[in-house]
Amino acid sequence: MSGDVRLRREFIATVVLLVLLALLPLVTRDVYWLGVLVVSAYFAILASSWNLLAGFTGQFSLAPAAFAMIGAYGAALSAAYYNVPPLLGLLIGTASAGLIGLVLGRIVMRLRGPYLALTTLSFAEIARLVASNSINITRGDLGLPIEAWFNDRVIWFYVFLGALAFVVCGLYLLLRSQAGLFLEAIRDDEIAAARSGVRIVFWKTAAFAISSAAAGFAGALYAYFASLVTPELGLVQQTGLVVSMSVIGGMGSLIGPVVGAFLVYVTSEWLRDVGGWQLVIFAALVIVFARLFRTGLWGLITTALPPRRRAAGKPA
Amino acid sequence: MRYASHLAIAAFTLSASLIGSAYAADPIKVGVTVTQSPPGSVVQGTQVKDGLEVAAKMLNDQGGVNGRRIELVVEDTQGLPEKARAAVEKLITRDKVVGIVGEHQSSNVLAGMEVAHRYHIPYINTNGWADAIREKGYPEVFNPNNYNRRVAMAAADSIKKLGAKKVVAFAENTDYGIGLAKGIGEQLKAVAPEISYRSDTLDRAAKDYLPAILPLRSDPPDVVVDVMLPPAAYIMMNQVYEQGVAPTAKTWFYDASGLADYPDFWQNIKEAGKDLLVFGLYHPKMKAPELAKTIGDAYTKKTGAQPNRLLYQAADSLLVLADAIKRANSTDPDALVKALEATKYTGTRGEITFSTEPGYKYHQWLDIPYVTFQVNEIGQKVAESPLVEQPGQPLDPSKLARP
Amino acid sequence: MLTGALAADLAVNGLVTGLFYGLMAIGLALIFGVLRIVNFAHGEFYMVGAYAYTIVAARLGVPLVVALPTAFLFGAALGWVVERTLMRPLYANIGTWGLMRDEYAVIVTFGLSLLLVNLVDKAIGPYAFRAPALVNASRIVVGPALMSGQKVAAAVVTLATLALIALFLRFSYWGRAVRAVSQNRLGASLAGIDATAVSSLVFSLAGGLAGLAGALLSPIINASPDVGAFPAIKSYVIVVLGGMGSIPGAFIASLLLGLVESFGAVLVSYQYRDTFGLVLLILFLLFRPQGLFGERGREV
Repeated sequence: MSGDVRLRREFIATVVLLVLLALLPLVTRDVYWLGVLVVSAYFAILASSWNLLAGFTGQFSLAPAAFAMIGAYGAALSAAYYNVPPLLGLLIGTASAGLIGLVLGRIVMRLRGPYLALTTLSFAEIARLVASNSINITRGDLGLPIEAWFNDRVIWFYVFLGALAFVVCGLYLLLRSQAGLFLEAIRDDEIAAARSGVRIVFWKTAAFAISSAAAGFAGALYAYFASLVTPELGLVQQTGLVVSMSVIGGMGSLIGPVVGAFLVYVTSEWLRDVGGWQLVIFAALVIVFARLFRTGLWGLITTALPPRRRAAGKPA
Repeated sequence: MRYASHLAIAAFTLSASLIGSAYAADPIKVGVTVTQSPPGSVVQGTQVKDGLEVAAKMLNDQGGVNGRRIELVVEDTQGLPEKARAAVEKLITRDKVVGIVGEHQSSNVLAGMEVAHRYHIPYINTNGWADAIREKGYPEVFNPNNYNRRVAMAAADSIKKLGAKKVVAFAENTDYGIGLAKGIGEQLKAVAPEISYRSDTLDRAAKDYLPAILPLRSDPPDVVVDVMLPPAAYIMMNQVYEQGVAPTAKTWFYDASGLADYPDFWQNIKEAGKDLLVFGLYHPKMKAPELAKTIGDAYTKKTGAQPNRLLYQAADSLLVLADAIKRANSTDPDALVKALEATKYTGTRGEITFSTEPGYKYHQWLDIPYVTFQVNEIGQKVAESPLVEQPGQPLDPSKLARP
Repeated sequence: MLTGALAADLAVNGLVTGLFYGLMAIGLALIFGVLRIVNFAHGEFYMVGAYAYTIVAARLGVPLVVALPTAFLFGAALGWVVERTLMRPLYANIGTWGLMRDEYAVIVTFGLSLLLVNLVDKAIGPYAFRAPALVNASRIVVGPALMSGQKVAAAVVTLATLALIALFLRFSYWGRAVRAVSQNRLGASLAGIDATAVSSLVFSLAGGLAGLAGALLSPIINASPDVGAFPAIKSYVIVVLGGMGSIPGAFIASLLLGLVESFGAVLVSYQYRDTFGLVLLILFLLFRPQGLFGERGREV
C-alpha cells in the first residue's frame, strides 16, 4: 500500500492506543501503576524522536538519552538557579536540546553507520561526564532537586499522555508532508536522493534538531515529574532501552516506538518482582528482530492482517 | 451446577482465609531501601539488610509489636539517588509501609526522604552521615546514627594530636564524601589553623586513582585521610600503599570511613592495611549494653561474620521504630512521629534520644559513641586490634606504632 | 609543577595502561579491517574473559597457567558464535537490511551488548568478583616507577601476546589471508582465499584477545557485568585514532592514549580525563577520518 495510507493507518492506530490509555484512570487510580505508565510515556516520546532520526532518516545516533538529559538539566538549572516558572523551564530545556542537536547534526552530517554511531556515542558520554563532574553547578551524581510541577499522579498521567499525543501528531504532520518523502529518500539511498535534488544538508540537520528537541522536551517534562535530575538520565543503558523499544516495536513506523515503549517498560515493571529476566529477553528480542524482522512487532502485526480493500482506482 | 460449585469454592476459600487470619493478624510492613547491586556499596547494603533481619526476627520471636509480626519489604537502590527515590515511592504507594528504614548512603537518604516527607511517612536514617540531612529539618526524619560533624570533630582532634602539618584527604563524589571532607577541613581550621589541608574528590565508579596519587610521591603529606567507601576505597588504599605514600614512617593513614571492620576488608587490602588508624563506631572492646551481645551473637549465627557497626545501626533503626509503634499503640504516621520524638530507648549502643535543636542536631542522637583503633597486623580481626581512643579515654600518640 | 620524577612516573604508568588498552583495541581493529563494522559488543568479550578467568581460577581453583588461556578460549568461542549467527547478513546478502548493512551491524552488536550484560547480571549476579592475582608481590620497581606485581605480570603477558599476533599476521598463511581480506575482500576471494573463514577467524581472535585482556586486568578491575563498558570506549577511541583497520596504528594509538590520559589527568584536569580520548575521537572522525595510519579514501 502507498506510504501515505500506511502512515495514516499507523497514526490512527496510535490515536486509538492513546485514547484507550486515557480511559485508564476511570478504572484504576493506583498511584504506582500510573507512575509506571508515565515513565513509559516518557520513553515513548524518546523512542519516537529517535525513530524519526534512525528509522525514517537512517541516522543511527546513540545519543537520545543524552539529549533527554540535556533537556532535563536545562529545565532544572533554570528552575533551581533562576526560579523560572515550569512552562518557561520546559521551553528552555527543549530549546537547549534542540540547539545542541542542530549543531551536532551539522557536524556529523557526512558520517554514516558506525562512524556516526561512534561520534554520537562519544558526544553522549562527554555530555554525561560533564554533567556528572560539574558538581558545583549540577551537584553531579547526587542529583539536582527541583520543585515538582504537579503533585497529583493522575494529572501527571494526562500531562504525559498529552505530550506524547502532541509529539506523535507533530511527527505525523511532518512525515505526511514532502519532508517525509525527503527523509525516507535520504535513508534509502543518500546519493540518489542528492542527485534527485533533495537538500541533504538541510533535511539531515533538521531531522537531528527536531529529534533532539523532542528528546529534550521529554527530559524536561520528566525533570518536573521526578523532581530530581541526575546524570543517570544520559547513561548509554538508557539509550539501549530506547533503541530496544524502537526495534521491538518497529522502526520506521509511527506507532512502533510507542507500542515498543509501553510494552517493554510495563512488562519490565510487572516482571520485576518475579525475577527480572525481562531485560535479557528484550535484548534477545532486539537481536532476533534486527536479524529477522526488521519491521518489528508492528510489521508482524500488519503483515498478518488481511489486506485492506483498496478504494477503486487507487494503487496499492 | 457450575455456578454452585464456584460458589462453594469461593466460600471455602473465604472461610479458610478468615480462619488463617485469626492466627496471624495483619503484619506491620516496614520498608527497607538498601544497595544490593553496583555501583553502590553492596557490602554495606548486605550488612544493613542482615542486621534488620536479625532485629526483625528477634522482635517477632518475642511476639511481634502490639501482637503483629514485623514484615520487611526490601528494595534495591543500586546506590543511586534516583533509584532510592523510586524505591521509597514504590514502598509507600504500592506496599503501603508504615515507615522506611535501612538507607545507608547519604545521597540516597536525601533523595528518599523527600518522598517520605511528601507522603508524611516516618523515615529512619540508618547510616546517612551528611549534615544536610538533618539541616533540612523534616519532622518525619530521625537519625539514630553517626553524623559527619561528629566524625569531623573526632578526625580533626586526632590529626592535631598526631602533630601533622600537611593533610590530604581523598573523598568520594557523594554527599557523604564531599560533606565530610569539607567538615574535616572546617574543624581543622577551627582547632589547628596552622595545619594545611586539601581534599581531592574522586569518582567512586573509577578504577584507577594513580593520577591523583602520583603527585604525592614527591611531596608526601603527614596524614592521608580516607573519606571513601568500598570498592573505590580499597582501590585507592591499595594504590596509595603501592606507591609508597602511606602508611609509612613519614605518613599516617587515617581511615575516617571506618572500613577495617568490613567483612571483605582483608580480602581486598593486604599489606596496605598494616598500621592503619581507624575511626570506628564499634569495637568489641568498647563498653556496650547487653542487647548488643544478643544481637551480635544472633548476627554471627546467621551470617558467620563478626558483628560490626552497621549491624547495630540497622538493628537500632528498626528497634526504635518498633518502640515508637508500641508506645503510640498505632501505626498512624502522625502518632508515630510524635512517639519517635519522645524516644528514650536503650538500643544496642546506648540510650537513644533525639534532640529537637535545629540545624545539624535536628532529630539526631547526639552522643553517638565512637572509638579510634589501630590495626597492627595483616588480617587482624578488629577485636584483636588495640583500642587507642574511646569515650573517656583520649588519644595518646606515643602509644601508636609506626611502620 | 611537573617534576622529572613525576613525569617519569606518569610516563611509565601511562605506557603500561596504554598497553592493556592495546590488547583489546587490536581485536577491534582486526574486526574493522576485515568486516568493516564496529563491534559494539566488544566490551562484553572483555567481560566474558574476566568472568571466565575469575570463576575458573578463584572458584574452581584451577592453576593460573591454565586459567588465562581458558579466558582467551571463552572469548574466542563467543566471538566465533557471534560471527556465525549474527554477522553473516553483512556479506551473504541475506536478511532484510539491504543497503543499510552498517546500521544493521550497529543495532545487532548493540543489542548483543545489552543481552550479554543483562544475562551475566541475572545468571551470575551483579556483584563484582575478586580474582586471584597473577603474582603475589604488592610493589615492584620498574625503572623510576613503582607498580603492583599484578600489573607487571599482566604487562609482560600482553607484550608477549602482541608479539605473537604480529608474527602471526606477518608470516603465517592465515595471517596473510587476514591482511589480504582487509585490503580487498573481493580481490582476496578471487585469489582463492575463503573470506568467510577469515571473518570467523578474525572475530574469534578478537574475542579471545579481549577476553585475555579482561582476565589479565580482573585482579585489578574486578569482574562485574558492566565491566566491559569502560575499556570498550577506550578501544573505539584507539581504533579511530590509529586508523580504522590498521594494526600497528592501533598499537601506537593505544600507547599514545595511555600517555595523553596519564599526563592530561595531572596537567589539565583529573576529573575530565576520560573526555580527552572522546574529544580526540570526534575531532579525528571529522577532520582526519583515516586516523594516524589508516589509508585515505575509505568511505566514511
